[in-house]
Amino acid sequence: MSAAGVRADMFAGSLDTPQLNFSEKLLALNWIFIALITALAGVGAAALYSVAGGSLTPWAEAHVIRYCLGLGLLFAVALTDIKVWVRLAYPVYLLALLLLVMVPFLGIESSGAQRWLSLGGVNLQPAELMKVALVLALARYYEWLPPRHISNPLALMVPAVMIGVPVALVVLQPDLGTAVLFAAVGGGMLFLAGASWIYFVFGITGVLGALPFLWNSLYDYQKVRVMTFLDPDKDPLGAGYHILQSKIALGSGGVMGKGYLKGTQSQLDFLPEKHTDFIFTMFAEEMGFVGSLGLLALYLLVLMSIVYMALRCRTQFARLVAAGVGITMFVYVFINVAMVMGLVPVVGVPLPLVSYGGTSMITLMFGFGLVLNAHLHRRTRFRPHEVGVI
Amino acid sequence: MAAPDHRIIRNRRFTRRVLMLGAGQLGLFGVLGWRLRQLQVLEAPKYALLAEENRINIQLMAPSRGLIFDRFGKPVASNADAMRVFIVPDLSNDIEYSLRQLNGVIPIPDRVAERVLRLARRQSSYIPIVVADDLSWQQFAQVNVLAPSLPGVQTDILSVRQYHDGKDMAHIVGYVGAADTAEVNEDPVTRLPGFRVGKSGVELGFERKLRGKAGIIKLEVDARGRAIRKLDTLQSQQGRELVLTIDQEIQNKAMVRLEGLRRAAVVALDARNGEVLVMASTPSFDPNAIISGLKGGQWASMAELEDDPLTNKAIRGQYPPGSTFKMVTALAGLESGLITPKTKFQCYGGFSYSNAYFGCWKKRGHRSVQMRKALKESCDVYFYNVALRIGITKLSAMGRKLGLGQTYEFGMPQQKPGVMPTPGWKRATLGEKWYGGETVIAGIGQGYVLTTPLQLAVMTARIASGREIIPRIVRPEPGEQIESPRKLDIRPEYLELVREGMWAVVNEGGGTAGRARIPIAGVEMAGKTGTSQVNTASSGPHGPLLIWEQRDHALFVGYAPADNPRYAVAAIVEHGGSGSRAAAPVVRDIMTALMERDPVSRPAYVARNDAPRTARHERRRGEG
Repeated sequence: MSAAGVRADMFAGSLDTPQLNFSEKLLALNWIFIALITALAGVGAAALYSVAGGSLTPWAEAHVIRYCLGLGLLFAVALTDIKVWVRLAYPVYLLALLLLVMVPFLGIESSGAQRWLSLGGVNLQPAELMKVALVLALARYYEWLPPRHISNPLALMVPAVMIGVPVALVVLQPDLGTAVLFAAVGGGMLFLAGASWIYFVFGITGVLGALPFLWNSLYDYQKVRVMTFLDPDKDPLGAGYHILQSKIALGSGGVMGKGYLKGTQSQLDFLPEKHTDFIFTMFAEEMGFVGSLGLLALYLLVLMSIVYMALRCRTQFARLVAAGVGITMFVYVFINVAMVMGLVPVVGVPLPLVSYGGTSMITLMFGFGLVLNAHLHRRTRFRPHEVGVI
Repeated sequence: MAAPDHRIIRNRRFTRRVLMLGAGQLGLFGVLGWRLRQLQVLEAPKYALLAEENRINIQLMAPSRGLIFDRFGKPVASNADAMRVFIVPDLSNDIEYSLRQLNGVIPIPDRVAERVLRLARRQSSYIPIVVADDLSWQQFAQVNVLAPSLPGVQTDILSVRQYHDGKDMAHIVGYVGAADTAEVNEDPVTRLPGFRVGKSGVELGFERKLRGKAGIIKLEVDARGRAIRKLDTLQSQQGRELVLTIDQEIQNKAMVRLEGLRRAAVVALDARNGEVLVMASTPSFDPNAIISGLKGGQWASMAELEDDPLTNKAIRGQYPPGSTFKMVTALAGLESGLITPKTKFQCYGGFSYSNAYFGCWKKRGHRSVQMRKALKESCDVYFYNVALRIGITKLSAMGRKLGLGQTYEFGMPQQKPGVMPTPGWKRATLGEKWYGGETVIAGIGQGYVLTTPLQLAVMTARIASGREIIPRIVRPEPGEQIESPRKLDIRPEYLELVREGMWAVVNEGGGTAGRARIPIAGVEMAGKTGTSQVNTASSGPHGPLLIWEQRDHALFVGYAPADNPRYAVAAIVEHGGSGSRAAAPVVRDIMTALMERDPVSRPAYVARNDAPRTARHERRRGEG
């Protein structure tokens, strides 16, 4: 075989990028990004140490271990050839959809909602898988869709259904937070893919018009949450208690904070769910305005570097996957922080990489793996047969 | 070449839109930052305060109630520890098992066990059920040591009021009970479980002094209200000690003397300064029974008892004073100038006035009567004439001057004022005009005139001392300045004339109360009998033949020694018949006891309130 033949072989998998071996790929990863998310996980571990009153157990240690396992997943996902993800996009989406459909029939009920599925002794949340699958499938769709049809109403029907079905399924669970997340991520990806402005104008108008109807279809506990959000002081010991205590914790932290391990609201248990949904409050109480701005800045750096990575990708699949994960991350952070500050109603959304929780950690690390994968394969192009209909 | 164009458009559009999205994210993070600034910078002081309120719990420590002593330091009311054991059903999986286990430590009668089980079935399982409240120290310690093996069993120590010589002193000291809503609003310490406030008597009248000041414990608590650590402590201050003017020993003699009489009351005062030495009312009750928790039914039946044991008749019983009022009529006549000591009236056994006939008690009549004789022999007709001549207004005014028709602010709550009638009073209360005949009978303390035994004692003391005596029930504290009573605005020679008449009542042949002479050589009592008609319709013969309710009230007032008065005593025996037969001996016996013991000449006990002391039994109450 000639040298040229070898080169041709090297290009067999993709058009422009040389096939890198494992160690070359490892070096080519965006290590700055990995450092940023590791810093976030570190903040999480420190916060969880404080939540436990200055103890590694039960949360901080487990958090670190989970993050390390998550890193393994991240590397595996990132280093896999991107074409594998292109090929797997639809099957993964269909699998997630199937599991989601099964939830109402086989799901485990806990606190008024069915979200978990128990298959062969393994408990999993299909909605978590769907968070990744939806991004993959939409990216996959727009990789295939010829650019001139992007704003064609018929061509928009497909992604609309791809988004709408999971949204409807999680609303039925009921899980309002995830439904909002799906809709936001889906809508954001359509926007990035290039669909005409007109659709978004109509879409947003339509949602606003449907709000009264949506309100009536909410469950009572969801209505209470919204009402509580609108006027938390009305019933300070009832439904508004959590949000009020959260605001007291945040506010009493002041500019410099009460000091690590010294947050009275947190340490004396006035804060609810402080190892999961309200961990930002706990952090802000102890580290103050300065510390919480720092944490927000760290998140912003992660988000901006995702935007940067998305911009550098050549293929629609890669850039949409990266941007889609970025939107997911953003929605998580924004809803969580806005919620604990009383800006939006209380919905059960964790703070990425900081909150304690295995499921969201897996989902996020999978997503970040895809982002790194896209960045790694930013110059990769696909042959037509590789991006066929299926 | 349309496709590449579209591709380029799409790529440019992605770049543009992803940057817009990034900018949007930046903007929304800006919103978060703005909100964070609002909470953590602008509103931080407000939230810091709220966080402190969350964190700090202020607990009150009940102060120990002030002790009450009699004149000579004999304890009257003190505090005792009630060591209690109770069961919280929620903490015990099997109450019957817990009770059986507990029975091995302290004896639990079946009756109590049944009550506990019944309550446990009926009420919320979080409410503690008291099993016993009179443990000895040893039992208390044993239960505490074994508590871990007694599921749901808990103990505490409660401070309970203890009354000594309860029945003798009940009406004076009163008793304590749980605070009512108004009291709770006034002072939060009263909300503590087991806290008691005065409900009657001196306990109520001197509540402010007796209560003391609550201690404060500042605690850091968690969201469940559990104490994490103590931040600050302010000790409670025990209530002040009170020393009563009462001499418990003579009070007891008075109560014993009144035994056997159905309803009667006696008041004895220091005639020179108004200190109450005896205030006895029969029947009485045991305040210890009331505070140890009479059940509702028992309360009602006790309160409804015909002879009203809960009522202090010395200050709440209002009786027509009868002839004991004649000193008022006499002084009113003399002061008005319309009557002189020499003024004579003829008594032929009765008196006619506008179609009505008013009899004298002595049907044969007293013939020519002057003031001294009128008092000594208690001639009704004489006083009918005096009253009619001076009019009701001057008569009532003299009654007030001598302390009748009013209450005194000396720390005895729930006094009744009695009645010193005037035409204005009658119009206001009955809406009728005054008739002259009513003035006539008011002259002998009948009709609308009503007085309490305490008022009669005050009247007697005022006549005896010539001073404006006001009753006192608590000894002055060291350093406390007491104004000596002012002189009465009555000419001394008139007072002297009345005193002479009162002396004659007891000590001259022909006086109405020879029975009241004191069996001590050289000590003479001056006094006045009274026999007041209860039912004006039945003015039949007095005497033991009548059924009890229709018999007259027997009264006697007196002071001694006649030449240098130290004690003034008033007694009423309801439906006792004649004053000289039923009431005078009572006063005589009590006066004799007073003269023999002479309490006002002995040094009284002094309260130890000077040194700032804290309560001996500091106790945290009302956790959670």
